[in-house]
Order: sequence, then C-alpha cells, then structure tokens
Amino acid sequence: MTGLYVVFRVAEAEYAVPAAHVLQLESFSGVTAVPGTLPHVTGIVQVRGRIVPIIDLRLLFGEPEAEALLDTRIVIVELGERTVGLRVDSSREVLKLEAEQFHVTPTVVTDRSRGFVSGVARVGPRLLMLLNLVKVLGEEELHDDSDHILDDGSAGRRALPG
Amino acid sequence: MPAPHLAEFVSAYVLEAEEHLSTANTHLLATETAIRAGESNLRGVREVFRALHTVKGLSAMVGVEPVVVLSHRMEALLRTADRTHARLPLGAVDVLLRGVQAIEQRVSAFRDGRAVEPAPVGLLREIDAFDAEAPESLAGARLALDLPPELSSKLGAAELEQLQIGLAGGKQALCVTFEPSTEKAERGVTIKAVRDALERLGDIVKVVPVSLQGSASGAGLAFAIIMLTLHEQAQIALAIEGQLAVSSVAAPGTPAEPVLTSELEIAEPEHDFEAQQQGFVRVNVTRLDESVERLSALIVNRFRMNRAIAKLTSAGVDTRELLQIQNESGRQLRDLRGAIFRVRMVPTADLLERIPLLVRGLRRAVDRLVSVQIDAGTTEVDKAVAERLFPALVHLVRNAVDHAIESPDERLRRGKPQEGLLKISCAARSDTWLELLVEDDGRGIDGEAIARKARRDVPASEAALLELLCAPGLSTREVATTTSGRGMGMEIVKRIVEQLGGELSLRTQLGVGSTFVLRVPLSLSIVDGFSFECGQQRFVVPVSSVDEIIEVEDSALVRSPSSARGGLPVSMLERRGRVVPLLSLAGVLGLSGGGSDKKAMIVRRGAEAVAFAVERMLGQQEVVVRPLEDELVRVPGVAGATDLGDGKPTLVLDLAGLGAAVNRRQLELHS
Repeated sequence: MTGLYVVFRVAEAEYAVPAAHVLQLESFSGVTAVPGTLPHVTGIVQVRGRIVPIIDLRLLFGEPEAEALLDTRIVIVELGERTVGLRVDSSREVLKLEAEQFHVTPTVVTDRSRGFVSGVARVGPRLLMLLNLVKVLGEEELHDDSDHILDDGSAGRRALPG
Repeated sequence: MPAPHLAEFVSAYVLEAEEHLSTANTHLLATETAIRAGESNLRGVREVFRALHTVKGLSAMVGVEPVVVLSHRMEALLRTADRTHARLPLGAVDVLLRGVQAIEQRVSAFRDGRAVEPAPVGLLREIDAFDAEAPESLAGARLALDLPPELSSKLGAAELEQLQIGLAGGKQALCVTFEPSTEKAERGVTIKAVRDALERLGDIVKVVPVSLQGSASGAGLAFAIIMLTLHEQAQIALAIEGQLAVSSVAAPGTPAEPVLTSELEIAEPEHDFEAQQQGFVRVNVTRLDESVERLSALIVNRFRMNRAIAKLTSAGVDTRELLQIQNESGRQLRDLRGAIFRVRMVPTADLLERIPLLVRGLRRAVDRLVSVQIDAGTTEVDKAVAERLFPALVHLVRNAVDHAIESPDERLRRGKPQEGLLKISCAARSDTWLELLVEDDGRGIDGEAIARKARRDVPASEAALLELLCAPGLSTREVATTTSGRGMGMEIVKRIVEQLGGELSLRTQLGVGSTFVLRVPLSLSIVDGFSFECGQQRFVVPVSSVDEIIEVEDSALVRSPSSARGGLPVSMLERRGRVVPLLSLAGVLGLSGGGSDKKAMIVRRGAEAVAFAVERMLGQQEVVVRPLEDELVRVPGVAGATDLGDGKPTLVLDLAGLGAAVNRRQLELHS
C-alpha cells in the first residue's frame, strides 16, 4: 500500500489513485461526444495521438454534472492494456502514503460507493478515498458481458435515443 | 475491344519491374560500398545483371522500347565486366544508378499513361564508354530475318544486336506464337507461364503483342516471342502443352561475325532465389478491402442474431446453447479479421531499403560523409502505414544528413570519425505498435540556440524541445541549404506521425547526436470521407457508404404518423420512384438541433434505403480511421475516430449500420 498517490477532488470529496497507474494529467479542453455510450462516458479525447475515452467521475458517482472550470483535469490512467481518462474537479497533489495510514473501509462506504472505493487513508485531518480502478473502468462487468468481441458491441448499452 | 486482362497485365508488369529495379539499386549500392573498400562484388554485379535482364524482357513484352534499350546497354556493360573479371570503376556504378533511375522514370510514366521519353542518348553514351566491348555500331548491320514486317519493325537496335550475337554463337532464332485465352488461363497457361518455360530453354529476345483480327478466342491478342535457343524447334513447340506455334527466323551462321564465347550464366536462377519466390501472391489492396467489407456484413449479421437471441431469452426460451455458438462465432470473426489484416502487412525492410539511395544523393549535394546502417529486423507494417510514413522518414533522414552530421573537417576536430553514422532501426512494440528509430551521431540539437532564434523560452525537457522544433512555421536553420530547412520538415513529420495515430519523441545530446523515435500503429484503415456538420458537431462518413447527397426541400416531404407513438419523427421523400424515410441525424444521435437540416445523405443496405438529414456538408478528404479500441466507446453506428487536423477526434460514422438499427427499431415500434 505504501507508495505515491495522485490525489484529486470530485464533488467536495478527495480521492487517490496509485501514481504508478497515472500516465499524465491534462487540463480539460472539451471532449468529442460518442452517442450510445454509458451515461458517465462523456466522450473521447486525443492525447498525444492516442484516442482515450473519458469517464466523468461526477456522473459515475451520481453527483450533479458540473461545468468545466480552469481547475478541471483529466487524469489519464492505465490499467493493463487500457488507457482511460477520468474527469475530476481538480488535481493538485501527489502524496506519499504509508501503509499505516490506510484504514479498513467501513462497509457502509463500500456499499454506498458501489465498490468504487477500495480503502480510506487518513492524512492529518483529511480522509482520502482510494479508488478501485478496475471497478471504475468497468472491467469486471465487461468480462461478464460476452458481447464486446468486435468493434461495435452493443449489449448492455444505453440504447440509442429514440 | 481490347483484351480485358491487358490492364491487369500492365499493372503486373509495373509491379514486377519496380521490384527488380529496387533489387538493382540495392546491389549497385552494395557494389559501390565494396569498391570503396577495395573489394569486388561479383555476386552483386550478377544480381544487378539478372534484375536488368528481367526488366528488359518484361519491358519488351509490353513494348516499352526506351527501357529495353537502356537495360540492354546496362546489361552489356555488366556482362563485359563479369566476363573480364574486371572491377567496375566507381564511375560505372554511378552511371548504372542513373540508368536505373532513368528506367524508373519511364516505368512510372508508362504506369500513369504518360508518354515514355526515349532513352537519353547522353546517358547511353556514358554507359557504352565504360563498356570496353561495346559494339561500335551494330545497329547498322543488316540481319537477314525471316519475319513479317509488323514484327521486324518492332525489333530495336538492341535486339537485332542480341540476335546477331546469338546467331554468331551457334544458336538459332525462333519466333514462337502464343494466343492467350481465358480457358487457357484457367489451366495456368498464361503468357507468363509461357515466358518462364521458354526462358528455361533459351534467351527471349523480345515479346511482341500482336492483335488478331476476328480471332475466335475473343481476346484478339497474341504474343510473338522471338528467342534464341540451342534446342530443336520441336522441343520448343512442346514446351507448354503443345500450345505454341514455332517458326524459324534465322539459322545460325547467317552473319559472318566473329564468334563470341563465354556467355554469362543467367538461365538458371539460384535455387534459394526460386524458393523465396514460391508461395507468394501479389494482390491488389482494393481486393483485400473488398474482403474486409464482406466481413463487415458478417459482423452486422451477427448483431442482428444477437437481438433475435435476446428476444427469445426475454420470451423465456433457454438460449444458453445459442449464446455459446454466438460467442464462438464472434471469436471466429475476430480471428478472420485479424487474418485479413495480416495479409495487408509488408516487411518494414521494404520501406527502409529506399533510404540508402536517398542518403547517397543527399551526401553528394551537401558534401558530407555518411554511412547508413539499417536494421529492419523481421517487423511488418500495414502497406498504408508504410506509404504514409515514408515522407516523414525522408524528412528525418534529410535533416540528419543536412544539419545534424557535421562536415568531415569539423568531425575530425571534434575527435569523431570523419564519416558520420545514420542508423535506422525498428522493432514491433506489441501486436499493435511499431517503433522506428532514426539515430545520428551528429552535433545534437541545441535547445538554447533554437529558443533564441524562435524568441521563446529555453525548453526544459526533450519533449518541450521537440514541441518547439515542430511549432508551425518555425525555421531554425542556421545555414541555408539547398535541400531542406529543418523547421518546416519537423512540423510535417509530427503531423504525419500524429495523423497515423502515433507519437513522435526525441532524445538528443549536444555534440553526441540525436535520436527521433516514431511510434506508429502497425495497421490502420484509410477511407475517403465526407465531412459534415450535424447538431453543432463535425462528423465524417466514408464516401463509399453514401449513395447520393440531396437537397432537403420541405415541400417534397411527407410526414409519417409514427412520430405520435414516441418514435423519431420520420418524414419521407420520393427518390427514383421509391419512398425513402428521411431521419434527422441529429435526432438519431440524440444531439440538439436538426431543425435546420439542408442536406441529406442516402445510404442503402440491401434493398432498404434511409436518408439522413444533416445541417451542411463540409467537404471530402481522405482520413485515417482509428477504431475506438476501448470497450467503453465501442458502439454501433460509430466506425471509429479521425483527426481532421485540429488535434481533436472527429467521429467516423457507419450510417448504414445506423440505418439498419433505426429501421429495426421502427419496425419494432410498429409491430
């Protein structure tokens, strides 16, 4: 557990992901919306020639949508072969967290967060929630869903409007 | 009507000729290097000879006379060199390289249907000047040939000379006639097969296409092959299933010429060469694209099947087995797609083999000593990627030779070897990425100096320095050169790499050298696309998927009642006597707007047509389509994304897929 963590803020709460999974931080300059995706997938951006899907963490966590501000950041994370951008309200810190700073996550938090939070760390008066990237990127669900074999898998999606 | 297979024949000629010319270039360069090192390169000379010999034969067959003349004279020079075991002078290699270049120009002119210029007399003279045994003027010599005038008039000086020499050497000259037909082609008896068979029995001097009036074969085309051989006429006639007519043109001894000895052995290709040729097929890329399209149709079908299964499941039917089969077919389709994409791959070595010739030309122009080291390994890359990447490579190589590598004197002063080293290597970095390195041991890039010139802050990192180098319009050359200015070139390199969906990076150390790293995808698909605006967003759609683009006129529309039932508002229009539903694309995609649609694109899938209304059409351009790889954004109706040059992704839509989805939904709503 000990290691460097990138800390960011989403709707008044603070979250952390292992810095080892973070490729870079980008300021937010809009996305290209992709029709027919899950609601929290707001679109794609191009980062150094790569096409990266963007998950708006506010929408994923069921918080109200917020306008993009100067502080808005895209945290580009890498998980296995996948590269995904997380839209967050701001991100300013990289912290070193020690194993003893982590606490057993109260069941109520795990439940309420639908598994997106895998732990809690205390830094002085602050509580940081450790993000479960596998869950956030939806890896597990997708593995259950056998329909994503070719380019345009469609099951389990928000239907096209209409 | 001309023979339908003639066009194919021409493109096969061009492909084959280009391949042999590139072989000739490679071996000429190797020979040059060997000569500089004080060695002779007998094997290389023979390879060049063989390549030119083949080019000559091929060119005669399609009647590109200037190429026949050029290659014949170059061949003669090489034959003399080989026979006398003489080391070729450097000047001769140079002349030969220019000869190959002249042939290349003529082959491309022929390919593009332009007029083929005659062989340059000056160059021919230079070639002959290096050939100690060049015949003074054999062209003038009369040769008694028993040929109809339409054939004998096609024989150039080079061929007459070859016939004369052959006859003097005890061979007989024959005219073999072959009449191709579809039925013969099906049995594998083509002009190529005939040529190959005859080549084993003697030397083909010339293949002349002759038209047959009112022939039964329908093709109306035959080939007269004039050859020299030591074999009997009857044996030649039986070379291929008795399909050939043979007549004698002239018997040996006709002209009283001195007998020449010791022919260069060319009839028997080396076995390893033959083995390499086996099992390869040349395919036009459009045919591969065709199979990709067929595959897409299968994929669409699979989605329809998915829906049908889902319906069954919700009706309480046990569909587990069906699902299993469906999953299996999905895997098979994916494998099939992979297999088709692999067919499009070409060895990266093919892409890089043109580099040494380029460097050779450059180092002359700028007076540098540069040796090139190329390591392509066994990597392969999609043909389209290779073609797009090449200009970027040219820029980088040019920059390295022009700017990075110092003059020989300066290098000596800095304690470096006089000759600079340019290294180009590549490696596959997974199943999807190729990494190409262009490395020089030159002066390195001085970030401070460049920042000063550009009036910018000194870049803090190599990435920032690269960014500065690639800034639009930035020119940092400190010395003007005839060949290139660095700034413009780098901007182009970066754009090429990024449009391919790749990444450019730089490592540099002052006084030691620089390395540019190009990371590009191994394959991609390129389509001709229409760009248009819809719901304040830009989109691209492949031109091939659009049947026609029409103006939307309100008066010509009829509204259907289905809008009252919660479906999309559907209008209909009449097109060529059929009723076509018109949908607002903005509405289908769930975008705002769509009220001011002025244009519509009609797409068709099978018998069904749908018109999608959009705000306005923007233009037509070739785009690189990158699939949306991540599961999160793989959705029907979206084929991928492209960069229209603004650094932001633009979606490439699959309107036919979208149309099918909408049609199905409409049906469901009505049922």
